[in-house]
Amino acid sequence: MTAAHPKIKITYCAECGYEPQTLALAKALMLEFGSRLSGIELIPWDSGTFDVSVDGQLLHSMRREGVFPDSEVIKKGVRAHLTA
Amino acid sequence: MTIDRARFEQGMTYDAYKAQMTRNRDRVEENERRAQLRPEDIAAFRGLPRPLNVVVLAEDWCGDVIANLPVLGRLARESGKLDLRVFLRDQNDDIMQRYLNEGKYKSIPVFVFFDESFRELGHWIERPASVTRLRAKRRGEIFAAHPEFGSPDAPVDQLPDEVRARLQAELQQMRDETAPFANAEVVREIRELVTRVAA
Repeated sequence: MTAAHPKIKITYCAECGYEPQTLALAKALMLEFGSRLSGIELIPWDSGTFDVSVDGQLLHSMRREGVFPDSEVIKKGVRAHLTA
Repeated sequence: MTIDRARFEQGMTYDAYKAQMTRNRDRVEENERRAQLRPEDIAAFRGLPRPLNVVVLAEDWCGDVIANLPVLGRLARESGKLDLRVFLRDQNDDIMQRYLNEGKYKSIPVFVFFDESFRELGHWIERPASVTRLRAKRRGEIFAAHPEFGSPDAPVDQLPDEVRARLQAELQQMRDETAPFANAEVVREIRELVTRVAA
């Protein structure tokens, strides 16, 4: 079974200057999955946030992991979601 | 890495820093106008026996820089005793590595105070702990008063757009309301630091 066109959300701390990491990850996901996604939403936030979710399922949390995500790990999570 | 007169002069004056900002200059200048300095605080800085050299690490996207550097800028202007030079954090890692927060975080702003011979007198990083505590408390109160905002620890991307926008507005209002306290705490901490060591 394949999940139909999931939506990815990237919530990033705009007060921390996390735009480069946000744009790099968004670009990597666009290039990898293209029209298989329904969208990529970028949400400016604060407090050191860098969260990535696919259809509401949290793939990465800066608060939890303490680091920026590896884009390959995020891609793997999205692939798993697509084929779930 | 040592900071001497030659390295110090490589930094930007406060006005030059503002002139090269690519974003948030309006917020910095508004905060500079709004910062209320007590006469006794200005007098304490004016009363320093000699002018101090102050190295500042900053970036124009950083919320704590936008909030706190203008307070230092006002103190410098009104006292005439603080000579500021601003260095962009991401282009001056040699300086940044020396003033990491808790030895690992590149928190900014950093204010480093030197005497006329470039002996370091002390440094100040990011924001007062009292401000962090107050805002965490107020943040908790906002979530407690609005169950629709969910848990303060939950990812905000799960909130409906309209609810998230209201939460954003509440948090901004809280930051605005606590700004006078925050500015006063910045002044108090810097005043304590420089008057303790430069007297």
